[in-house]
Amino acid sequence: MAQEHDQEPKKLKFPLDSSSYKILDEIGVGVSAIVYKAICTPMNSTVVAIKSIDLDQSRADFDNVRWEIKTMSLLSHPNILKAHCSFTVGRRLWVVMPFMSAGSLQSIISSSFPDGLSEPCIAVVLKATLNALSYLHNQGHLHRDIKAGNILIDSNGHVKLADFGVSASIYESNTGRGWASSSCSSRLMLTDVAGTPYWMAPEVIHSHTGYSFKADIWSFGITALELAHGRPPLSHLPLSKSLIMKITKRFRFSDYEKHKKDHGKKFSKAFKDMVASCLDQDPSKRPSAEKLLKHPFFKNCRGLDFLVKNVLHGLPSVEERFKESKVLHGISTGSDNGEEEEGTEGKTGSEIVKIRRISGWNFNEEGFELDPVFPTESKDDSIVKQVRFGGETIIRDRKIELGESGDSVESSGRSSPGLIAEETKVNAHGENEKEDKGIDKETMVGGLMVLKKSLDEQRQNVANLIGMLGGEVSGEEQLVQVIERLRMELESEKQKNFDLEMELEFNKHLISGAYNGCDTE
Amino acid sequence: MKGLFKNKPRTPTDIVRQTRDILIYADRTSSSDPRDAKREEKMAELSKNIRDLKSILYGNSESEPIAEACAQLTQEFFRENNLRLLIICLPKLNLETRKDATQVVANLQRQQVQSRLIASEYLEKNTDLLDILIGGYENSDMALHYGAMLRECIRHQSVARYVLESENMKKFFDYIQLPNFDIAADAAATFKELLTRHKSTVAEFLSKNYEWFFAEYNSKLLESVNYITRRQAIKLLGDILLDRSNSVVMTRYVSSRDNLRILMNLLRESSKSIQTEAFHVFKLFVANQNKPPDIITILVANRSKLLRLFADFKTDKEDEQFEADKAQVVKEIAALEPRDRT
Repeated sequence: MAQEHDQEPKKLKFPLDSSSYKILDEIGVGVSAIVYKAICTPMNSTVVAIKSIDLDQSRADFDNVRWEIKTMSLLSHPNILKAHCSFTVGRRLWVVMPFMSAGSLQSIISSSFPDGLSEPCIAVVLKATLNALSYLHNQGHLHRDIKAGNILIDSNGHVKLADFGVSASIYESNTGRGWASSSCSSRLMLTDVAGTPYWMAPEVIHSHTGYSFKADIWSFGITALELAHGRPPLSHLPLSKSLIMKITKRFRFSDYEKHKKDHGKKFSKAFKDMVASCLDQDPSKRPSAEKLLKHPFFKNCRGLDFLVKNVLHGLPSVEERFKESKVLHGISTGSDNGEEEEGTEGKTGSEIVKIRRISGWNFNEEGFELDPVFPTESKDDSIVKQVRFGGETIIRDRKIELGESGDSVESSGRSSPGLIAEETKVNAHGENEKEDKGIDKETMVGGLMVLKKSLDEQRQNVANLIGMLGGEVSGEEQLVQVIERLRMELESEKQKNFDLEMELEFNKHLISGAYNGCDTE
Repeated sequence: MKGLFKNKPRTPTDIVRQTRDILIYADRTSSSDPRDAKREEKMAELSKNIRDLKSILYGNSESEPIAEACAQLTQEFFRENNLRLLIICLPKLNLETRKDATQVVANLQRQQVQSRLIASEYLEKNTDLLDILIGGYENSDMALHYGAMLRECIRHQSVARYVLESENMKKFFDYIQLPNFDIAADAAATFKELLTRHKSTVAEFLSKNYEWFFAEYNSKLLESVNYITRRQAIKLLGDILLDRSNSVVMTRYVSSRDNLRILMNLLRESSKSIQTEAFHVFKLFVANQNKPPDIITILVANRSKLLRLFADFKTDKEDEQFEADKAQVVKEIAALEPRDRT
């Protein structure tokens, strides 16, 4: 796979000054970012997309921006959206990317295929996505936000995976995202919660046990259903409920079929089997991306022209779709004047904007059915609090680690960029939670935070013990054994604690759900 | 038949040696002919070896790394000049192998053999390698790889000290303003790491090099025309000066009227984030209990302007500490008496 790229002619260098680009049209807009369609005049007027990010407004997550830019520069695969180059223009960062003229699959579905795509089309899209995933996983990267909204298509039917805003590498520690940031039992595991809830794997939600590449496979399975039905499963439920159902393992493929009033849609056995294998509760039982590529569902997969003919033909352009959405939903492009609090992601309940992501294009994010919206009063307030709540807690436990790390090379070497990156991810998470009812969410998050704190204390105790022992025991093996034993103890404690907590939360949720139900009626 | 002989598992030592042999070959030859099949094959083998080294050091999805194997690998790797070879040959490798090699080098920095960090000892004897890594910022194809390796190497205090005291330190002032955002940002991350990671070394460096360092810092970074440079520089300056280990440097910094002038200009910026960061440095000038007369004179002369500025000076987030600091600064400024009216 890698070989074929090395033989490519030397990468064209795009100019690093704004005067070389001519902006044609606006195709996406967010709180602090705008996506343009533009041409690069000195390069034969190549059409490009430029994401212009206001760095002054996204101050806290500057390191996140840097992470994504770096990730995009170092990945090289035909099914992954790459940045041609990036440079600052005053206070804005311009990221120049290939122009993906058909936009995201989510945007295509919500504009022209509300009931989903046909199986042969799904196969073409998913196969390309799997190629990208297989490459990423082979590189030690997790995407962590696989969904139709992050799969882009150009006019020739080329499919590219975008948005590495919450991606992570299992090898790299200095960004605060990799394994070194976790005190998890296995080194090549991640523990922070990231992604978009409806697509998130159960093990990511109770992430203290750690998760890895198979979390992407789960999201991939959900994406398959999203492409088939026009929306992800459980999206008719408020978020907290869908999360809890996933955690308590009540979610089955068949449940989804029941809930959805299908328009007589029948799926092939191969498709169902493929999706079911991705949605196994046990991550180890899910197939790898590489293995999935060999699944019968992808046999006789059609070519790109098939996609062009059956999906792209007659589709309104991204410019048109964007304009339409502006008219329909009154997105005011000129109102980016920073009235929002830092950390708040959206302007209206329905328009969810991801300022923190670079390669995401924010097309047509108005898919209402997809992310159910519930009216919340004092929306901004509650969101801000929520987001900070999560953020602060994470910072608190990072501080403990920081306190321990001195000058030594051995320390986990966390620096403040890491903190910010962590916090941002919580924000990204929070952004999706906001449609939910305030009360439930707060109780739940509150409970979970208490739990998290107690776990952190336990973790800290163990760390202290290890530290004490480390001073006295010289035999390294002995030490390793002690650590291992303590780790096991901690894990089982955590598990117990977690189980109890979940039970409690679930009950609470039922009660408060019932209460709210009465209240509104 | 072939399988019979080939199947003997290679030890970490074997892999390091084979990697070395091909690296020597790669170093001597150049890929003038892209259809050189033999070379192609060797390079593919090299890629595979480097990937194998990586999976020994990091483990893989099936198994955790084995301490003994890691130690063996590390020892063999640093027994000869493999790190040098790998760094020099890096531009000849393909993108994926470069990334693997970078991760191998990163991991080796943390490996201990008989509780010694032999990577650190090796680098102390081969400091010119650090010069090569730093020079990587001038090559857009290599910058991110060499930059990542460099940041891992300066985890060693002695290595960081070498870089800080080398002539190369001056180059960072230009590197962090390179037009390529990804490279400039990487250089900025390294610069920050150098100036914050090893407290005692940083304090010593800043005391010894105060004059030129802050002259450069002020003129090239804090007064840069580039927004992002100013913003990162003012943030880092705050981090440096507010660190207790740098208190001597801080006292000196906040006694200079030139510095105060620069900070007051930054306070007037329209960018909220620059303003806020500038405040965190400005407050040190005000809080200084032994303010030189010329500092007092400036503060008194600008008193009403400053008080007006702080009156509607808010951070985006609610921040109690900030509000408390602001109240303190306002109080101090309001109470200032021009002392040297003689």
